[in-house]
Amino acid sequence: MSIIGIRRAGIFLAALGLLGLGVVYWMSFFWVSTEASQGIVQRIFYVHPPAAWTSFLAFGIAALTSGMYLWLRDERLDWAASSAAEGGMVFATIMLITGPLWGKIAWGTYWTWEPRLTLTLLLWFVFVGYFMVRRSTDNPEQGKRFSAVVAIVGALLIPFIHLSVVWFRSLHPEPVVITPEGPSLPGDMLTTLLVSVGVFTVLFLGLFMLRYALEGIRHELQVRARRAAA
Amino acid sequence: MSLYLRQIGVIVWKDLLLELRTRERVAAMGAFAVLAGVLFNFSTDRSLVRPQDMAAGLIWMTIVFDGLLGVGRTFHLEAEDGALQGLLMSPAPKDAIFLGKALSNFVLLYAVALLVLAVFMLFFGLGIGSSPAAVLLSLGLGALGFVALGTLFAAVSSGTRMGETVLPILVFPLLVPMVIYGAGATGRLLAGRPVAEVAGNLRMLGAFALVALAAGAALFRFVVED
Repeated sequence: MSIIGIRRAGIFLAALGLLGLGVVYWMSFFWVSTEASQGIVQRIFYVHPPAAWTSFLAFGIAALTSGMYLWLRDERLDWAASSAAEGGMVFATIMLITGPLWGKIAWGTYWTWEPRLTLTLLLWFVFVGYFMVRRSTDNPEQGKRFSAVVAIVGALLIPFIHLSVVWFRSLHPEPVVITPEGPSLPGDMLTTLLVSVGVFTVLFLGLFMLRYALEGIRHELQVRARRAAA
Repeated sequence: MSLYLRQIGVIVWKDLLLELRTRERVAAMGAFAVLAGVLFNFSTDRSLVRPQDMAAGLIWMTIVFDGLLGVGRTFHLEAEDGALQGLLMSPAPKDAIFLGKALSNFVLLYAVALLVLAVFMLFFGLGIGSSPAAVLLSLGLGALGFVALGTLFAAVSSGTRMGETVLPILVFPLLVPMVIYGAGATGRLLAGRPVAEVAGNLRMLGAFALVALAAGAALFRFVVED
């Protein structure tokens, strides 16, 4: 697919995602039934886990394409890695804001060292480092390699971070969708959650492709400027 | 294989010899360890907490900060006269260079970690606990994991305009498992708990160090190429 084709697909998916977001909000505010024990605050659940899932997907893509970039040295893999990393930062930020908002009411405290919240915070910082080294080298090629190394080491150590913070302490609600006995969530809540996960994923993919196309266009512009100068 | 080990050994020897002759890093890190012990002592209110309850965490934080101070300068040794280029152009493979650098950092940091332990035992009135060997092992495995990440990211940070200021941002999030398992193990051992209680922690510390060393050895070539 050409860069322009990717850009068009990105615009389409992002628009679809934004439209879907309207549907998700409508479903989670008006359609789905109120959860009995937590009440109204539980509705943030239709934003929080989908944002968390999307940020993990994005960081996963960033780590994978970073590894492939170091191996194959194709510029496009680096565009994909940095675009996915930026998307991951956005959704991780949403996750980190909605989690404490819910926690204040449900747990009585904004911040706890709950494993998944902690892991997301640390990943958020790994990618802060990713963008810092990327932007502070004199040679852009070097920045690309440095940031790829940061993403790969981060991905390799995730199991350790996860195990250690679980060992340190756990308070998070137990999984309610992916459990050995099948989902324990009532039907309409499960539907709303799954729609939301789908919408967040589509929105991310749209933004990801738009961002990727922007890198491609920027690259094309540089090539043309160099050709015009020569 | 023996050539590979000898290449690592030569780099370790070179770095340690330089350190022995200049004593720059070891003096700075040693002074830091003692002064951090003094400051931490004054930062704990003895009417609120028992100093020995906080000591293990403070020991680990001192090692982390002190390690950053020393490891951040790993590649300053070769900064002058293109010495790093010379080292990289030598026939030694890049991963041998990385392991040599990491091991010389390890010797330095482990020596400093022992000093930190001694300082805190003295200032905080700690006993060594039931198993001195396990305490030393927990510090050693922690120092090994630290130098693996620290050496790799010192190479990254010394290639950026930000220099050492970016090092903690790169290293701290990844050091969380090491601090959790390490401080957990050292704290319980110093409190006299049995070694069996912290065997899991020690295993995780060892696994962390191995993965970090392998990752550093594999990725170092991408950091220093060109």
